[in-house]
Amino acid sequence: MARVDVLMPQMGESIAEGTLSKWLKKLGDDVKRDEPLFEISTDKVDAEIPAPTAGTLVEIKVQEGQTVPVQTLVAVLETEKGAAASAPAPAAAPPAPKAEPAQAAKPAPAAPVPAAAVTAPVPRPLSPVPQSSSVPPKGDGAETAEERLRRRSTPLVRKIASEHQLDISQISGTGFAGRVTKQDILGFIERAPAAAAAPTPGTRPPAPGVEHPAVEAWPGDRVEPWSKIRRITADHMIMSRRVSAHVASFFEIDYTKVALLRARFKAAYAERGVNLTYLAFIAKACAANMRKHPVINAAVSGDSTIYRRDVNIGIAVALDWGLIVPVVKHADELSLLGLARAINDLGERARTKRLSPDDIQRGTFTITNPGGFGPYAGIPIINQPQVAILGVGTIEKRPKVVTQDGSDAIAIRTMGMLTMSYDHRVVDGADADRYLADVKAMLQDFPEQEM
Amino acid sequence: MPPHSVPDTRSETPAIPAELERPQLLEMYRYLRLTRVLEERLVALYRQSKVIGGLFRSLGQEGESVASAYALERGRHRDILSPLIRNLGSMLVMGARPIEILRQYMAKAEGPTGGRELNVHFNDLEKGYLGQISHLGDMVPVMAGITLTFKMRGEPRVGLVYVGDGATSTGSFHEGLNFAAVQRCPLVVIAEYNHWAYSTPPEKQFAVKDLADKAKGYGVHAVTVDGNDVLAVYAATRYAVERARRGKGVHFIEVKTYRRKGHAEHDDQSYQPKDEIERWAVENDPVDRYVKQLVANGWAEESELAEIDQAAKDEIDQATDACVNDPLPQPETALPGVYAHPPAAERLWFRGL
Amino acid sequence: MAEVTFLEALRQGLSEEMERDERVFMLGEDIGAYGGAFKVTDGFQKKFGAARVIDTPISEAAIVGAAAGAAHMGMRPVAEMQFIDFISCAYDMLTNYVATARYRAGLATPIVVRGPCGGYVRGGPFHSQNPEAAFLHTPGLKIVYPATARDAKGLIKASIRDDDPVLYLEHKWLYRRIKENLPEGEEILTPIGQARIAREGKDLSIITYGATVWKALEAADQLAQDGPSVEVLDLRTLLPLDDDAIVTTVKKTGKVLIVHEDTRTGGLAGEITARINERAFEWLDGPIMRVTAHDVPLPYAPTLEDYVLPQTEDIVKAARWLAKY
Repeated sequence: MARVDVLMPQMGESIAEGTLSKWLKKLGDDVKRDEPLFEISTDKVDAEIPAPTAGTLVEIKVQEGQTVPVQTLVAVLETEKGAAASAPAPAAAPPAPKAEPAQAAKPAPAAPVPAAAVTAPVPRPLSPVPQSSSVPPKGDGAETAEERLRRRSTPLVRKIASEHQLDISQISGTGFAGRVTKQDILGFIERAPAAAAAPTPGTRPPAPGVEHPAVEAWPGDRVEPWSKIRRITADHMIMSRRVSAHVASFFEIDYTKVALLRARFKAAYAERGVNLTYLAFIAKACAANMRKHPVINAAVSGDSTIYRRDVNIGIAVALDWGLIVPVVKHADELSLLGLARAINDLGERARTKRLSPDDIQRGTFTITNPGGFGPYAGIPIINQPQVAILGVGTIEKRPKVVTQDGSDAIAIRTMGMLTMSYDHRVVDGADADRYLADVKAMLQDFPEQEM
Repeated sequence: MPPHSVPDTRSETPAIPAELERPQLLEMYRYLRLTRVLEERLVALYRQSKVIGGLFRSLGQEGESVASAYALERGRHRDILSPLIRNLGSMLVMGARPIEILRQYMAKAEGPTGGRELNVHFNDLEKGYLGQISHLGDMVPVMAGITLTFKMRGEPRVGLVYVGDGATSTGSFHEGLNFAAVQRCPLVVIAEYNHWAYSTPPEKQFAVKDLADKAKGYGVHAVTVDGNDVLAVYAATRYAVERARRGKGVHFIEVKTYRRKGHAEHDDQSYQPKDEIERWAVENDPVDRYVKQLVANGWAEESELAEIDQAAKDEIDQATDACVNDPLPQPETALPGVYAHPPAAERLWFRGL
Repeated sequence: MAEVTFLEALRQGLSEEMERDERVFMLGEDIGAYGGAFKVTDGFQKKFGAARVIDTPISEAAIVGAAAGAAHMGMRPVAEMQFIDFISCAYDMLTNYVATARYRAGLATPIVVRGPCGGYVRGGPFHSQNPEAAFLHTPGLKIVYPATARDAKGLIKASIRDDDPVLYLEHKWLYRRIKENLPEGEEILTPIGQARIAREGKDLSIITYGATVWKALEAADQLAQDGPSVEVLDLRTLLPLDDDAIVTTVKKTGKVLIVHEDTRTGGLAGEITARINERAFEWLDGPIMRVTAHDVPLPYAPTLEDYVLPQTEDIVKAARWLAKY
C-alpha cells in the first residue's frame, strides 16, 4: 500500500493559484488512473484534474470553493502498488561544492618586490577630478572626495601600506589632491627603512636607533639582506626586551574536557563554516577573564599605567615572509562561535595578504600559538605596547595523577602548557598567577553553555 | 497532378491507393493512435504538474503529421524532417520513442536534452528529425541549409519542413523559402492551414485565400490538399518527395485541417466558436475518417484496429511508468556544453560561498 | 616572406582553408561572380566552383540559417555579411538558433559569420558599425576581431577550424592600410581566446582591439618621449575574453585605459572593467578609465565622424591624465 499526493496543478506560466470548484469523487471512492477527480478554475482556464494513479481517495485537504496556491496538497490516494512517488521526485541533493572555486578575489600570493625608485614626472597643475569621479564621498559628506583620497589613496597603495604598517597620511603625495601614489610610497619605503613604522596611536612604538652589530661572513656563506618586515620584527624584539621587565609564569592545563567538547561540536561548527580549534577555546577563556584582571589588559606610558577600555586580542600568525599579529576586536563580546570564526577569518586573510591596517592595530593582549609542531612550552616576547603575551605549548595526551574517591591513579589526559610572559613593571606575580588560575579553571571545566 | 485512387470494380476489395500495402495502412493507423493516446497522457501529466511548461496538442491534425512523414524514406541517414510542436505524430513516424517524449516534457535528467529544452524541441539527425526552436519560420532556412548539403554531395535525400499558417507571415519563412527555391533544394514544405495561430484567424494573418497562393510567389510547385484525409496527404507528399528527390526543387503542400484544442493547454479557446470546434470533431476527425475508410473498404478489421488501440495504450502506460519518477537534472549540470571548448561555463563566485 | 595587406592576408587564410578542407564553403551576397564588395573573394568562384562559392539573395537570416543547417550535416560554412551592419537582420538566427544549438540540442554548428566592420571611412551610420557588444551576452558564440594582417589570417583559419560558431569582425579601414611581412609556406594560426602584447610598458596599460590598437601604438610612441611608459594589450578575441592577460597587465602597471571604437554605453569596456574589479582590485593605482566613441549614431560628415570617434590625440591626453592620478 502506498500513499500518493495529488497537488493543485499549474495551468500556465503566470498562474499562481487555483480554485477547487467541484469534487467529482467522494472519500472512500475508488478511482482509475487518469479518471477525473475534481474540477478547478483559474484565471485562464477551467479543467478537470485526473487521478495520477488508480487507488482509493482517502484524504481530502481542500474543499469546494477554496482557492489555494499552485502545488498545494489537495488530496491523498491510497494505492495497491508499492512505492508510487508522492510528488515528482525532487532533484537529488546538490553535490558538495567541487574543488574549483570561481575566479573571485584571489590575488596572486607573491607581493611584487618594490621597483627601483621611479623619478616621478614634475607634477603639473592637475586637471580637476572629472565629474564621474571614481572616488565618491561616503557617509555624512563631511569628508570630501579629495580628503578621502588623501587619506586612503588607492587599493594598491593601501595594500603596500598595510604590508609595511605605514600610515598613508604621514607620507607626502604627488598625485591628485595630494594623493600618495605607488611611486610615492615605494620611494618612501626605499628611503627610510629604519623608521618604517610611523608613530600613530595603535601602531607599535618606533624602535629608534636599534643597531644590530656587523659580523664577518666567511667564504661560502650566503648573505641575505633583510626584507622590510624582517627588519621591523628584529628591531621590535630587541626594543621590547629592553623596555619591559620580562618574567614568565608556566601553567599546566588539562584540556580533556575541551577535547571532548571540540570533538562533539566540531561538525556542527563546520556546518556553519567555522573550524573549531583549541585556540578558540583558549582565546575565549582569556577574553572572558580579562575584565576581572584589568592590569593584564593594560599599557605602560611614561610613569602611568593605561588601563584599556576594550579587550582586543591579537593572534600571532607565522607567515612565510614573517610574523604578523591581526587583532580580534572586542573579543570579550564574542561567543565561542564568533571568536572561532574571527580567528579563522583573520588567519585566512593574513595568509592571502588581505588584512587592512585596521586589522593589525589596537591590540591589548596577544596569544601566540606555534601549533601542532611547537614546543612543550616557550617564553614569548611581549608585543609592545602591551604588558602580557600568552604562549600556547603543544597539546597532547600525557599521563596524569587523578584522585577518585580518595585513591590516586594514573590517567591519560589531554594536556598542554600555557606560558605567560608579562611586564613586571606593572604586573606582579600574584596578578599574573591569579589571572592564569582563572583561565586554567575555565579551560579545565569549560562551560558547555558557551558552545 | 497527384494520382487518384481508382476503385477496382473487378474485385471486392478496392485497391489500396498510392501503392501502399495493407501492413503499411495498419502501421499508419498505429502512429495515429499512438499520437493521440500519448498526447492524452501528456495532458493528464500536465494536470498533475508533472509536465512542466507548456503543452501543445495536435488534436485534429494527427492525420497530416503522420501521413506526410510516412511518405519519406525513413531509416538512418535518409530523409530528414523538421517538426513543429503539433507534429508529434511525424516524430513518432521517424523513430522518436514515447519514453523520450515523456522524459523531455517532464524535464527529466535522462531526457533527450537533459532538461535543457521543452516540448518536442529535440532531435536525432541520424534517425531523421530536427526539433524546432520557438521562433517560427526559423526552421525553413535551416532545412534549406540541410537540403543544400544533400545537393552538394549528390545524395538522393529529401528534407521536409512544417510551417503553420501563422509561420508563413514571418521573415524567416520568406527568406528561407526564397533561398531554397533559388538553390533548388530538395525540400518539401508542409503548410498546415489549421485556422488558428493562437487566437489569430486567417483573415488577420494573410490576404490570400490559400497558402498555396503564397508559394507560387516563390516560383515553387504548390498544391492544396484535404489535410484530414490521411491517404490524400500521403499521396500528395509522396509525389512531391519523389519529384524533389529527382532534382525538381522545392515543393509546397498546403494541408487544410483544424486545430481543435487551444494554442496550449492553458488556453481556454474562448475565441474559437464552440460549434465550429464541435463540427470538426464530429464530422471531420482525421482518425475517425481513416478508420471508416479502412473498414468500409475492407482494408482492416475492427478487431485489428482495437488490438492496435490496446497496444498503444499499453505502450504509453509502460513508457510512463518507466520514467515518471525519474529525477530532474542535478543543478550543476546546467554549466557544461555551451561550447565545444571550453567544456563548461564558469561557476560564479557567489555559488562557492 | 612577402608583404601583404590585411585584406590579402584574410584572403589567403580563406583560400588556404578552402583548399585544405573540402567541407569549407562560402555563401553571401555578390561574393561569387563579383568577388565580393571589397574583393575579399576575388577569383574564388573560378578557383573553387560555384557550388562552393554561392551568391545568395539579400537574405541575411536565410544565409545564417542555411549555414547552420549545413553545419549540422558536417560542412564548414563561412557566411558573409556584406557589411557587418546587416548582421542585425540575422540576429534571431544567430543568437536564438545558432548559439544555443549545442547546448540545448547537442547540435554542433561550426559556422563562421564574417563581415567588414568599423568606421573612420565616412561611411555613415549603416556602413561603419562595431556590433560586438550586441552579441557579447550570447553564450555559445565566439567573437574575434584581428588588428594585424597576421592575425587576420591566423584568426580566420582558426575560426573555420573551431567547432563552435564564430563571429569574425574585419575592420574595413585596416583592409588596405595595414601591411605586414608574412612568412610563406608556414601555417599561421592564431589561438582563439588569447590576447597579444602589442607593446610592452611599465606605467600604464591600454587594453584595446581592432583599429584602435594602431591608434594606441601611435599614442604610446608619442608618450614615450616625456610621458608614461605604455603597455598595449591587443585582445584579438572578445568572447571569450583572455582574463589572465588582462589581469597580468593590470598587475604590472596598476593603471588601465580601455580603448574601443564602439560606443561607450554597453560597450566592452564596461565588462572588462567589471572583471578587473573582481580579480585585480588590490593592484589598481587609479580608476579604470575608458576612451570610446560618443553615444551617438555615427554621422557621415568628416568633422562630425572625427569628433565622435576616438582619435590618437584623445588616447594621449587620457593616458597622461591617468598617469598623473
